[in-house]
Amino acid sequence: MAHPSQLGFQDAASPVMEELLHFHDHALMIVFLISTLVLYIIVAMVSTKLTNKYILDSQEIEIIWTVLPAVILILIALPSLRILYLMDEINDPHLTIKAMGHQWYWSYEYTDYEDLGFDSYMIPTQDLAPGQFRLLEADHRMVVPVESPIRILISAEDVLHSWAVPALGIKMDAVPGRLNQTAFITSRPGVFYGQCSEICGANHSFMPIVVEAVPLEHFESWSSLMLEDA
Amino acid sequence: MSLAKPVMRGLLGKRLRFHLPIAFALSLVAAAGFKYMVTEPRKQAYAEFYKNYDAVKEFNTMREAGIFESVRPSGE
Repeated sequence: MAHPSQLGFQDAASPVMEELLHFHDHALMIVFLISTLVLYIIVAMVSTKLTNKYILDSQEIEIIWTVLPAVILILIALPSLRILYLMDEINDPHLTIKAMGHQWYWSYEYTDYEDLGFDSYMIPTQDLAPGQFRLLEADHRMVVPVESPIRILISAEDVLHSWAVPALGIKMDAVPGRLNQTAFITSRPGVFYGQCSEICGANHSFMPIVVEAVPLEHFESWSSLMLEDA
Repeated sequence: MSLAKPVMRGLLGKRLRFHLPIAFALSLVAAAGFKYMVTEPRKQAYAEFYKNYDAVKEFNTMREAGIFESVRPSGE
């Protein structure tokens, strides 16, 4: 989850998020390269009285400052497109979960084998136990088996919402009448938090997402227990 | 005594020929600095973390700490 005075991304908990982290580093390196160049030139320009009023054109510099930016753009585009297609791969998921956005909670349906469905409301601040996170905890978490490819189908029952979990590198709009599909694998067990990412009314900031990744046997025990309670 | 005629032309060009290579070199140094001080250490950190990562041990530690809701600590 996020922590105070955080500047960068949350630690990656999925291979896709690791790739996104490295791509961001690559793009930021190019940003620093260009910014340093421009800053130096600005300082050099303002700290001189020398001017040349009679320059009309210069083919050489025009070629340089056309070709160089084109090369830089290609250096950014190639890894970007690689990640874009990587994120689109859905390789034989072990489980399909439906996440439905409502005003103002999420509901999850695990219908591959049995009919398991539950709502996930934010735990109000006054009901938090010691150690729980304000505005991030939910009463029922979306439990998934760790290191298993999961397909998630996202939609909404009323207005636009967006299902986002930064540590997993996922953000997908929940659109009424539309099923959006994405997939993820959790690299390690743990609890990963997210928040609704599309303005959806008064309690838009108060419908968090909590994903809990546990080993398969514990996931199976949990789903059996949830089915009994239902 | 006669003085040498001062240079009166090409002053801006001379300044640019001096400063532009420094500008490009500095920007490449900044990019290389970021790459080797941030990007590569981050990649190494992730590789090191997962090289000897024991998911079962970490899961049990987290479980005993009580952070999961689907799995309670073994004492409960």
